[in-house]
Amino acid sequence: MTDAIVTENLSKQFGQFDALKDLNLTIEPGICVGYLGPNGAGKTTTIKILTSLLRPTGGKAFLNGIDVVRNPKEALASVGAVVETPQLYPQLTPAEILSYLGQLRGLDRDVIRERSVAVLNEVKMLDSAHKRMGDFSTGMKQRVAIASALLHDPSILIFDEPTIGLDPRGMIEVRKLIMQLKERDFTIFMSSHLLYEVQEVCDKVAIVDKGTLLVYDTVANLSIAGEALLTAVEPITAQQCAFVQALPNVRSVKRVATSELLITVEGGLSEQSDLLDHIKSLGIRVAFYRPARSAIEDIYLRLVPEEES
Amino acid sequence: MAVVTKYELLKYLRGKRLLIIVVLLAIILILDLVVPPTIGSGYDLNPTTFTSGMLNDIGILIVLCATFFGADAIVSEFEQKTGHLLFPNAVKRHVLVLGKFIASTMISVGAVALYYAVTVIAVVVIDGSIAQNTSLSFLYALAYVFGILAIAYLFSAIFRSSVYSIVLTFFTFFLILPIIDATGSSIAHFKPWFTLTFASGIILDIFQQPYPVDATRTVGTTFANMTRTITVATYYPSVAQALAVIFVYFIIGFILAMYITKRREM
Repeated sequence: MTDAIVTENLSKQFGQFDALKDLNLTIEPGICVGYLGPNGAGKTTTIKILTSLLRPTGGKAFLNGIDVVRNPKEALASVGAVVETPQLYPQLTPAEILSYLGQLRGLDRDVIRERSVAVLNEVKMLDSAHKRMGDFSTGMKQRVAIASALLHDPSILIFDEPTIGLDPRGMIEVRKLIMQLKERDFTIFMSSHLLYEVQEVCDKVAIVDKGTLLVYDTVANLSIAGEALLTAVEPITAQQCAFVQALPNVRSVKRVATSELLITVEGGLSEQSDLLDHIKSLGIRVAFYRPARSAIEDIYLRLVPEEES
Repeated sequence: MAVVTKYELLKYLRGKRLLIIVVLLAIILILDLVVPPTIGSGYDLNPTTFTSGMLNDIGILIVLCATFFGADAIVSEFEQKTGHLLFPNAVKRHVLVLGKFIASTMISVGAVALYYAVTVIAVVVIDGSIAQNTSLSFLYALAYVFGILAIAYLFSAIFRSSVYSIVLTFFTFFLILPIIDATGSSIAHFKPWFTLTFASGIILDIFQQPYPVDATRTVGTTFANMTRTITVATYYPSVAQALAVIFVYFIIGFILAMYITKRREM
């Protein structure tokens, strides 16, 4: 089966500035990939190259095996994209915008009508289908943009910061919508700088910084190491603390309160279960044991230097 | 392409700019038709001079159409980020530019046609006949619309801000080229045949019978026992040369606009 999105040594320079340096990324079909990185890391540049809004200065990009630079029309035929927060024509209604884009994509009028109702219903904009876009809020525009991306039933969806500029309710709704889309057969590639959003929504995570890919793995694999906060019922003695430090898979221990330890753990669920058994055997009565930060957050902070993030 | 044209027209029809053009056209026509009888001077009873008098502002109308419907047609997609929605579609950019250009042309031609229609009706009602060469004048006006819109599209493709492209389009055709035309004729004594605005002179010159030709005359002035002679030149564009100039502006402007838009990144 052809990979949905492939980049081979993809590079983009703006003058002397390397926005993207030899990016190699392969995204298999049917998964949701979160694309993380600080501002200016190269996330939007990658997405703009994939959607033919920018030309790379080096390397190649393929969508469903078709070269985006050489055959943009063919490559984009199976792609729905929402890049940044697109402004929609204020003189037109959502129904007209979908009809316009549908006709541009060569869809039949009956199909456009049918699909427009379906996708506007999906993004909860059916009631506003015939109102002009001029008065719409950012959230409403974003939902119409997502509807336009879904109109032609593409196999790949590309979202650039899909929840940026939205109020909390709008963010939750858009995230929920992406979760629903994920249940279907779409390949979803979404950039974000909201780490919890990516962890909640995506199967795999790619972290990019200064135009270079730092890590690309499944959320499950990336979640195996991190900081955990242990809260005991009674105060933890210095001796108990030293014993915990010596336990297998414990990288470091820091006492944050008389009965709380911040433990940096290596290993998966099984190793963490063993660790808890060992801790209990030391006579520590554990009240809570929970991640101090999300694992993705942990990895992100480790990989992306402080001044940039 | 027809799809792009259709929706661009829809946007124009719902926008304020068309309304401004219509109001402006109404003001021009009201001034031409209401003021003469009001001040007691009456209408010109010669259909040709009446027609050319009424169409005196056709150049301004065409410049405004190019400014309103062409100068930000492309740049706005980049500046307002509507291109983020439009360009990632499976459609080639030259199709988008061509569709937009046709829409701009149609709306501008509509405004020009309305001006001519009202003028012809007024002349027929008042003078009882149509001026000779009205249809030719109309065709030349349409050619000018094509030429000026192509340059407006070129500015729109080049600039990053619609304010720049709008201002440059307006001032190029309303001020800069007319100054070159006037300076060339009256001071430097060269024929500015290469400017689009000079070429557009055929729209009204075609009403003159016979068609005017370049002329120079020497005028002598005496002041403080000193006699000086001044040569005054009056230049007219020849129809063939003017149409060729308009065609060249159109071709170069439009092809460059297409090429730049195709290469332009968001």
